[in-house]
Amino acid sequence: MAASAVGYFSGAEGPLSCTRRQFIVAGAGAVVAAGSGCGQVKEFPTAARRWLGKPTAPPLPAQLTPAVSFGLDEVSHVLSRLTFGARPGDYGRVAALGVPAFIEQQLAPGELADGLCERVIRHECDSLADPTSRWWRRRGEGSDPLAEIFPALRENGTRIGDVYEYKEKVLLEQLTRATLLRAVLSERQLFEVMVQFWSDHFNIDPSKAECKWLKVVDDRDVIRAHALGNFRDLLRASALSPAMLWYLDGRVNRVARPGEKPNENYARELLELHTLGVQGGYTQQDVMAVARCLTGWTVRDRKRFLKGRVEFQARQHDDGPKRVLGVDIPAGGGARDLERVLDLAVEHPSTAKHLAEKLCRRFIADAPPAAAVAVVAAAFTASRGDIPSTLRALFAAPEFLDPAVRGEKFKRPFHFVVSALRATNAETDASRQLVDYLVRLGHAPFRFTTPDGYPEEAVHWQNTLLWRWNFAAALADNRINGTRIDPERLSEKVGGDDALMATLLGRRPTVVEHLAYYESGAGLALLVASPAFQRC
Amino acid sequence: MGNPLGGGVGSAGRWALARAVWCRGPSGVGQPGVGSLGGGGNFMATQALITGNGDQPRTLVVVFLRGAADGLALVPPLDDEHYHRARPRLAISRQEAVRLDGRFGLHPRLQPLAAAWEEGALAIVQACGTEDQTRSHFEAQDLMEHGGVVAGGWLGRFLRARPAPASGALACVAVGKALPECLLGAPAVTVMQSLEEFAIGGKTPAFRTQLEHLYAMERGQLGVAARDTFDALVRIDAMRATTYVAANGASYGRDEFSTGLSQIARLIKAGVGLEAASIDLPGWDSHFAQQGLIDSLAGRLATGLAAFRHDLGARMATTTVVVMTEFGRTVEENSAFGTDHGRGSAMMVLGGGVLGGRIHGEWRGLDPAGLEPRGVLDGYGDLPVWNNYRDVLAPVLRRHGADAAVLAAVFPQFALRPFNL
Repeated sequence: MAASAVGYFSGAEGPLSCTRRQFIVAGAGAVVAAGSGCGQVKEFPTAARRWLGKPTAPPLPAQLTPAVSFGLDEVSHVLSRLTFGARPGDYGRVAALGVPAFIEQQLAPGELADGLCERVIRHECDSLADPTSRWWRRRGEGSDPLAEIFPALRENGTRIGDVYEYKEKVLLEQLTRATLLRAVLSERQLFEVMVQFWSDHFNIDPSKAECKWLKVVDDRDVIRAHALGNFRDLLRASALSPAMLWYLDGRVNRVARPGEKPNENYARELLELHTLGVQGGYTQQDVMAVARCLTGWTVRDRKRFLKGRVEFQARQHDDGPKRVLGVDIPAGGGARDLERVLDLAVEHPSTAKHLAEKLCRRFIADAPPAAAVAVVAAAFTASRGDIPSTLRALFAAPEFLDPAVRGEKFKRPFHFVVSALRATNAETDASRQLVDYLVRLGHAPFRFTTPDGYPEEAVHWQNTLLWRWNFAAALADNRINGTRIDPERLSEKVGGDDALMATLLGRRPTVVEHLAYYESGAGLALLVASPAFQRC
Repeated sequence: MGNPLGGGVGSAGRWALARAVWCRGPSGVGQPGVGSLGGGGNFMATQALITGNGDQPRTLVVVFLRGAADGLALVPPLDDEHYHRARPRLAISRQEAVRLDGRFGLHPRLQPLAAAWEEGALAIVQACGTEDQTRSHFEAQDLMEHGGVVAGGWLGRFLRARPAPASGALACVAVGKALPECLLGAPAVTVMQSLEEFAIGGKTPAFRTQLEHLYAMERGQLGVAARDTFDALVRIDAMRATTYVAANGASYGRDEFSTGLSQIARLIKAGVGLEAASIDLPGWDSHFAQQGLIDSLAGRLATGLAAFRHDLGARMATTTVVVMTEFGRTVEENSAFGTDHGRGSAMMVLGGGVLGGRIHGEWRGLDPAGLEPRGVLDGYGDLPVWNNYRDVLAPVLRRHGADAAVLAAVFPQFALRPFNL
């Protein structure tokens, strides 16, 4: 995965043939599907399909086999935890494939074709960047003149500075839409789930200063590049992410004059949130020493040439000896101090435990079982931070498959909304009205202010019920602009009301649910609003 | 310095602490970000709805004049010769203005606010703004609403950082279509255009009944949250069933601003626990033919605020309205009978026990020597920001429960010198 993850954006090879608008699609975190890159922008079929009003949701499979058991079986459980909710037909597909094979598939997302998702995203988010653009206008476009004049603007094949050409509100809107569309449409569901997990873990609020532009780069080069890669690589990418350097003030962490105090903000969060955890056993001295190790790493601001570029200013680096987490870092390390600090933090046993706890909280239960945490932490350590290996151990833990934890996690609002869209096979452009529901539910992507990210536990989200119910009603009645479902066709296709209920619930309905479905006069809305659908 | 929130707490457990504050209440339930009506499994929330503002008697209303309101038209320095010289066609004349004191008057369309001034309920600070030099609406609004180069909004931080954080489902309301930046990070905000939105949209009673049946089967927190939500719906239904009549003969305008203010007044009077509300009055970017534009906007502003004040009556003692804008406009008029982006503008504070009937803060007159240079152009510079907007907000927040530690968290990276107003 790690190797193919790097390849995602080297899909943008030959940047001279890449227009700025295409870059921005990539910038919106576009994981360019294997084999498709900037060379393949002739999208006549997709554009024409949309132009003609053709659906952009995946076609319903011919054979839809809903769940038949009264409780959540292993297939329904794995689907509801590893994905943002099952689509009609997913149950039968995974049952036929077998749970272990499905997990392996999801752990290697690079091998999963995701054409529909990427086409929709390229179309939706690109046209948003320039509402007047249509496919035919792209034919005449040449290469990016700025990049020709300033080849240096291209940084490792991408050009960070280019994001500054966009209105920040447009960038955030596109990033939000692309995130939603991928959660709804992507076949690489576990990848998207982990993208959300790491986006919270390394949270950046784009409302702060230049993060407005740079979060887009962070999403692409940090989170998506390493979501199922290696944690050490992810952490390093985050430490050197221009958005993170702005968000947690790393860019002004320097010792330019003797006696100048380093800025500890990032160093503290690195230990407290990103690695060891608040009870991880580090001291205030460690925070200060880490801050000193990271002095000199900065990012050019938007008023300067090569804006957005991260660089090491040796003259602003405190090159004296330091002691971090009980290990001496000798003087004269320069830029290598950063690598030492990251190694020490990643290898610290508290980091494995902290990450294992968070992963188990996400995938098993709000109160993660200690046995599972221990197994997952051991897998993290043994694999030297390989994320798929760590997750493989988690999904194999008996605590994960325990029937007692099934259907007991409260979906966060984003999960709830996306799972409703998936379960009903909705077509959506993820535009304003849909995002508004997430805003009202307090869980729109990239809107969390503090570095700890949106919380996971149910207790934070239980007072969002009214807007969940309103969303369910609006979705079922097709009252959300840009989002459309076809309840009759869905019901017909799955084979009637009972099968529809089983498809949404992942099991047969209870007697009460069955009755309420008919008595409510709005069965689909009721199911989506029901207590069972709030959980996974 | 500090985390992106900027200030205050320094120990390693800050986020855990913040969380603890964030999800307060007996059941430990809170709501991040923008929220919902519905009590949230939170007995406190229901309590707030029932007992009203008993525990949190104060409501802060923030009015943002988007587009950079011309403080020199709203609160003209009538007796400053430079004012009339710089604006030969646009200056508010001594005859038409409402005289405030020896130096200033009010725009004639702000006449409805004269009573509040005379009764000492309206304080004004001229030459207010941010320390930043930007003349971009977007950047300046952001900086002002965030309270500096920090993540999240100042009002959101205030609601979260206080010793007794806002807890009710209706504790904080943003009137409008979107959440304003100043409320980013608030524990619970309901964005609404009208009370009509507090309902399960488009569904029959049968739907609600069946939903109640399903949730009645729920034990634990989800069941509690659902019951609170249904209770809140009943209360709002009852409120909606009656037609709202403003008290004391208050007469709101028919525009959106007045309508929004009347909704806020209604929530305050219904005792639903409203602690902060925000409302915008946009459209102040008067580059061209500004007289008509400002006449109309100033009229709406004053009519709305005066009606709000009358409507609330005695409750104005515990309700503060702050009026602010991102920056002011050029001292000199331009060739298009308008004014361009400048620096200092006026802020108003109404009610809530403010020391009113006075112009607070620094004022050094419009002598060109004391103005801020405007680059290459000759003539008058810009009205400087002599008074930082945070120093106006700080004493207001104090009366709404902020102590020094909270103020430091609300306005990090800034040495406050709060006005005595």
